[in-house]
Amino acid sequence: MKRVLIILPLCLASLQAGAFSPQVQGYIQELKAEVKKTDPSFSDFSIERGKEVFTSVHVGKKGEKISCTSCHNANLRDKGENVHTAKMIEPLSPSANPARLTKLKDVQKWLRRNFNDVYNNDGTALQRGDVLYYINAN
Amino acid sequence: MKKLFMLMFISASFMWAGGLKPVDNVLYQEECGSCHFAFQPGLLPSRSWEVMMGKLTDHFGVDASLDAPTMQTLLTYMQQNASEKATGYKRSYKMNRSIGRYETPLKISEVAYFRDKHRAIRPAMVNQKEVRSISNCVACHKDAAAGDFHDTFVPNYGVIDD
Ligand code: HEC
Ligand code: HEC
Ligand code: HEC
Repeated sequence: MKRVLIILPLCLASLQAGAFSPQVQGYIQELKAEVKKTDPSFSDFSIERGKEVFTSVHVGKKGEKISCTSCHNANLRDKGENVHTAKMIEPLSPSANPARLTKLKDVQKWLRRNFNDVYNNDGTALQRGDVLYYINAN
Repeated sequence: MKKLFMLMFISASFMWAGGLKPVDNVLYQEECGSCHFAFQPGLLPSRSWEVMMGKLTDHFGVDASLDAPTMQTLLTYMQQNASEKATGYKRSYKMNRSIGRYETPLKISEVAYFRDKHRAIRPAMVNQKEVRSISNCVACHKDAAAGDFHDTFVPNYGVIDD
């Protein structure tokens, strides 16, 4: 019994690492439901596809080539620099910067803005879910 | 002696509350300071801020959109501290005075007073990685957040007199 009590918190701790905050997890569920509406065979978001969303180059809102990595560092654990203003941006990776992906309001605000800047649209539910998986895995 | 008193009186009546009122609103600092230096509301008149806040989805080519209640809260703070209200501050007074009544500038850096103060700036001083844009006040004015623009140091060029 004592052993179980010791192991239990350990397991919980390891489950926690890499998990989304409850708020953001709820949003992930919403996004999944959204994707399933058009693709009933959809099972889960993909880190691999998320990497493509994050690193691919597009003609953005300003009519210039831009990608998520134009402002965020391609190495998500490092600082980035805003391509338009030269202002430093703290690392996007939740493991390097624990405040990341914790507040749903912020996550939604920045996905809306940043997808518009890079993709010239709000981003589909599939793109949003995939990219959140990718950011969370780094 | 009388003359000296007169002089003292005149200079006292030109005393300013300060250069420019620093930002004293946490929400403004966070929301308007996330992409660039949080420009003090006292740098532009209310009518400029009203127009700018009405089109945040296309804010100088980028999406800076906010939900309506946040936008309104920020705008109220900006209107209360805009250049025409903050005339006790030297920079606000001077910015405001150099903007024509029928002008609604959206860029601080396009106002005549600003342009005059920066006439010694050459493109090469801006087009370098440490600065990149004339809007990047903190690159050359390290005390900009305190509303103090007197101390100037242009990266790789040093002190430039206007
Ligand atoms: C033009 C620069 C720019 C580009 C391009 C950009 N971002 Fe951002 N992003 C920012 C800034 C600025 C912030 C907020 C600053 C901060 O929180 O440090 C931010 C914040 C975020 C956040 C909020 C994280 C949190 O919880 O705090 C996410 C998620 C994000 N960006 C994802 C993306 C994705 C995905 C892309 C590509 C579609 C992208 N960004 C492209 C500038 C950019
Ligand atoms: C998503 C990023 C982003 C956010 C958020 C943002 N801005 Fe900007 N802002 C920019 C960019 C990009 C520019 C253009 C900078 C340049 O040309 O160098 C700019 C320029 C400006 C300028 C003109 C600067 C000049 O040269 O005179 C003002 C004033 C301004 N912003 C005010 C605000 C205010 C007030 C807020 C908050 C409501 C805000 N910004 C929020 C990205 C942003
Ligand atoms: C490339 C560097 C650079 C940038 C960027 C810059 N300035 Fe300046 N600024 C200067 C120089 C140089 C002077 C003249 C210094 C002097 O007169 O001693 C000056 C003067 C000023 C003055 C007048 C100071 C005085 O003592 O009379 C003000 C106010 C000012 N700047 C505001 C700003 C604001 C606001 C921004 C951002 C929107 C900005 N500056 C961006 C270099 C810069």
